[in-house]
Amino acid sequence: MTAGSRQRLHPLTPLLKGARLLATGIAVFSWNGYERLGPLHWSLTVLAGLGVAVVVSTAAWAVTGFQVAERELRVREGLLWRRSRAIPLERVQSVDLVRPPLARLLGLAELRLEVIGGKRSEGSLAYLTAGEAARLRTRLLSLVSGRAPEPPASEEGAPTGPPTGPGQEGGAPTGPGQIDGTGPAERVVHTVANRDVLVSQLLTVPTWLVPLGIAANLVPLMSGMDWSFIQVASTLTALVGVAQLPVRRVVSSWNFRISTEPTGLRLRHGLLETRSESVPPQRVQAVSISRPLLWRRRGWSRVRIDVAGYGAEATLRVGTLLPVADQHLARAITNQVLTDACGHRDRPVDVTRLALAAPPSRARWLSPLACRHLGIAVTDQVVAVRQGPLPLFLTIAPLTRVQSVRVVQGPLQRALRLAVVHVDTAGIRLPLIAYHRDEAEAHALAETIATAARAARRGAPAARTTS
Amino acid sequence: MSPRLAWIQVIATLFWVIVIIAGFGVVRSWDTSGRLWPIAVALVALTLVRGGTAVRSVRSWGYAERDDDLLVRHGLLVRRLSIIPYARMQFVDVSAGPLERVLGLATVTMHTAAAASDARVPGLAGPEASRLRDRLAALGETRSEGL
Repeated sequence: MTAGSRQRLHPLTPLLKGARLLATGIAVFSWNGYERLGPLHWSLTVLAGLGVAVVVSTAAWAVTGFQVAERELRVREGLLWRRSRAIPLERVQSVDLVRPPLARLLGLAELRLEVIGGKRSEGSLAYLTAGEAARLRTRLLSLVSGRAPEPPASEEGAPTGPPTGPGQEGGAPTGPGQIDGTGPAERVVHTVANRDVLVSQLLTVPTWLVPLGIAANLVPLMSGMDWSFIQVASTLTALVGVAQLPVRRVVSSWNFRISTEPTGLRLRHGLLETRSESVPPQRVQAVSISRPLLWRRRGWSRVRIDVAGYGAEATLRVGTLLPVADQHLARAITNQVLTDACGHRDRPVDVTRLALAAPPSRARWLSPLACRHLGIAVTDQVVAVRQGPLPLFLTIAPLTRVQSVRVVQGPLQRALRLAVVHVDTAGIRLPLIAYHRDEAEAHALAETIATAARAARRGAPAARTTS
Repeated sequence: MSPRLAWIQVIATLFWVIVIIAGFGVVRSWDTSGRLWPIAVALVALTLVRGGTAVRSVRSWGYAERDDDLLVRHGLLVRRLSIIPYARMQFVDVSAGPLERVLGLATVTMHTAAAASDARVPGLAGPEASRLRDRLAALGETRSEGL
């Protein structure tokens, strides 16, 4: 590949960005200022503001540059805090052309590079001429697909499925036209009884707070006998606010069905609006089985899942895998999801066989209640962490999803020779944190996890490209 | 880590002391009761202590490039050690603030898909920062086993 020379953004960039800066400024100060200053002074201030904004943006533009070198995109920017970023093109999930209205007017476009796990675009080139942006996009995409085994992850970033599955990907959580009819290859595995959903929600702390909240709202109303419209309306709003969470959970978990497809699991649920979400096994970061205190007598668990996306898709994340289920089913579904996520169907994951190691007994000085429940286990496929007691939960992540491992030790822990092991995945909802391990054990664990994760990555099917 | 990093921390601390003192000066011009002085003194003392620990805190930073991963350790009170496989690298940043640039230092940050990954190596001399950046980028590419 030829190393391209260093390039600049379009010279009109400062004007556009300056205008944007100014618009924000006006939005902040505007009406208040307009009233005080009067039209003439106000417009002068705006002009001065525009001048400053353009000068700042021009300076920023002057130091910004990008370069396609070998298989990297290098972006240099920043006026005071200089930053140069090197993005290996293998890691790019999608290259998008974005054209905000003002830029479109000037025939300009922004190029955004998405990498997985990023909450926003990690590489953004604003602005280029539309033609140049399109050319650069084509060039980057060809470089992205050049050596990487997967097809260019441009449109959906859809990775090819595991060898057993067909190439189609159910990445979009709500597939049009698939809301109600089940597809031909789909088989319903389990339906959660609506009665259980209702009962289980009655047995959670937020629900128990509802009567309290209602009472707190009604008592002043009754005693004061002030039936003005505002009073009634505000009370009603407050009541809705209090009852919202449990009701929303029940509504969204209504008619909860899990079915299997060739690519993984599909969830359908909802009372008012039926949602259909697919669980792409390649993106499962972690699964957690939790047992709230009041559910234990019934032997119920809730299973949650953390699925990573990128860019706009990051917001469409599957959260609940099973709103309520008995232990047996919860484990079975968890096993299935993890086995799919690990990519070895011949070597199923079994969460009941995890040998959880307890922390040393001196950990009770720091967490007298939780100490009994803490535990961590590492197998050749997954890493699992148990925490408790309110709620008691077990979080499991496939080793192939482990991004980094950290050992953190606070002053109190140092005195007790304890340390915390964090296992980081691209997910954010279900963190894996093993509290209060023995100091030496923590470092050994971190090393073990790092090594096991490396081995798991090497053994993973080559087609699986996305976490 | 370059010992010059300690200078940055000391200068930054001094900067804050000046800001705080100036802030109290402004407040005092309105409030003449003088009750604010103890707080100001305490703040100044705190920042001075912070400046004093700068050298030790800079020494606590360390990193090691191993075959498959980067180790970064830092922290005095809360000690942190991170293991970040090169295979997980998504991109590398080299950044330098105004003070760092004056002293010829830069910070190299390796980003993974996990927001929590802590792979920041501050206070590297310019050439060393470029070397580390290039090495990480190259390793990230060759060790890349897919995400």
